[in-house]
This record gives sequence, structure tokens and C-alpha cells, in this order.
Amino acid sequence: MTTDMQIALPARAENIAIVRHALGALEDAYALDAQTLSDIRLAVTEACTNVVVHAYPDGGEGPMEVLATMLGDELHVVVRDEGTGISPRPDSPGLGLGLPLIASLAESVQLGRDERQRTEVRMTFSLNNAPHHYDGAAARNGAGAAQAATATQPVGAATAQANPTDGRAADTGAAAGPATFGATESTGSQ
Amino acid sequence: MTEEPPIESSASLRLAKGPLVGPALCRVVSIVLARAHCPMDQIDDAMLVCDALSAHAPDHTLDGQLSFAVSARGGRFELRVGALADASAKRLVAESVLPGVGNVLERMTDELRIEPATAGGAGEELVLGMSF
Repeated sequence: MTTDMQIALPARAENIAIVRHALGALEDAYALDAQTLSDIRLAVTEACTNVVVHAYPDGGEGPMEVLATMLGDELHVVVRDEGTGISPRPDSPGLGLGLPLIASLAESVQLGRDERQRTEVRMTFSLNNAPHHYDGAAARNGAGAAQAATATQPVGAATAQANPTDGRAADTGAAAGPATFGATESTGSQ
Repeated sequence: MTEEPPIESSASLRLAKGPLVGPALCRVVSIVLARAHCPMDQIDDAMLVCDALSAHAPDHTLDGQLSFAVSARGGRFELRVGALADASAKRLVAESVLPGVGNVLERMTDELRIEPATAGGAGEELVLGMSF
């Protein structure tokens, strides 16, 4: 699978604007409707914000990558970092809406690590029906509840669960070897 | 009203040959330059450069993928384009001629050089620079 667009930036808050702006190229190139692009932007912004806020604690800085691949009528987006991994954070400054929001916007969400142990949030967006337009009230009501995303790994059966405290997920499979992304969260009812 | 300080930034972009090359490159370059307080007319110049690159560079890739390293800091903009097939960076420059304007890459930039691909990779890179 050839990645159509890959952006690599330092994981800083101000760089999220570059990612958002670059995603507009999808509209230019593939004539996406404005609402679908808005949903994609919002979900990717949330994933990037998680990287900026959580991936590199104690003022550290590292890379943030966004990869977009068009496959038929689906857009696959991966947000990747080389940080500490996804884990519960009781002292999180966030409201815990990040992952539920992503889950409500995307067709599927998968959490895990790639073969180099980099943390990844993989999102798939349907470009045909685009049924998952953001419903703020639903996302708020569902925070920390049914939207828990799940990732599986071949060794150790890692499980990731949405954390109601910070919206990230607890990834217990950090040392379990290369991840494959198996189970996905269907978000059709969000 | 106080003016925001310029934001110096850099970004790496890797694009598959296809419809995203032009829009993605133009968008990333324009926002990086705008945040660095590059004057509007020079952002326009940079867009012409991006148009020329996206029109011709895909014909010179090694593997169907183009890498762009964009940076704007200290009043200086640099754009590295790679990895281009051997001896094709020169051809890419020669192809970037607009009727009535001349060679866009040479006219719109103040630095233009060809380097071996970074990190010991195959092919070569075209490096373009512009002060603002």
C-alpha cells in the first residue's frame, strides 16, 4: 500500500495548523465535500493534539507524523509518534473527549504500534456516505463509555481502552512485539 | 493591535506521484511561509515554484515518491526536493520555463543547487533557497 501523503513535523501545538491546512489538499485533489473534510480535520486534529499533549511528557519533544492513503472510497489516516505510548493519565489536562470524538467521526479507529514500536492511531473514513458527521452532544454523552477503541497484537493480545480521564487509551501491549491491527471499533451508532 | 511574532518552522512532506502533489506542496509551503511573516509577493513567487515543481518533478522520481523538506527560519526559506533520478535535477530546472516569465526556478529563488541525496540514498536532491 503506497502512502499518498506523509507529513512529518516536530510535535508542537503550532504545527497542528500545518497538518490541518495540508489536509485541505484532499479536497483539492479528490473533490471531497466540505463536511467530510471538516470531520477528517477534526478527528486528525484530536489525534495530533493527543501527541502534542501526551506523547512526550516533561517538556520533551519528538516527531509527529500524519500519513494519508486513499483506498477506493476510503481514506486511511495514521497519526504516529515515537513517544511514551498510550497509557492512562489521571493528571491529564484534557476533558477525555479525544478518542470518543475520533470514534464518532471515523468509520473505524485502531490503536497500536508499528513494527518500529511507534505509537499509532489509525483512522478510516468512508468518503461515500460520510455518515459520521460530528454530533457534539453525542460525543460528550459518550465520553469514556461505549467508544472504547480496541487494538490487538499477535503476541500478548494487547488491549487498548478509552480512558475517561484523558481520552487516550491504555495500551498494555507496549512490549508485546510488532502490532497488527485487528479488531476495529464500529462507530455507526455514535 | 499587537503583531504576532513570526513562527519559524520546518516540515517534511512525502508525496506519491498523483493529484495530491501540487495541492499538498502549495499548502504546506504557503502556511510555513505565512507564519514566518514572508511578504505576500514572495509567497506568490514560492507558489509559482511549487507549481513548477509539482508539474515536472513527478517525472523524475526514483520510485514514484517525492520528498520535500520545507523550512523557514531567520528570513530564509529553503525547499529540498528529492530523491530525483541521477542527472534529472538539471533537467527539472530546464523544464521549469513559463512563457513570458522565463525559468521560474531560477528567477524566483536566489539559490539553486544540486546535491547528492541525503543519508547516502540513491539519486540527487534539488535545493532551492529564497530570502525574505
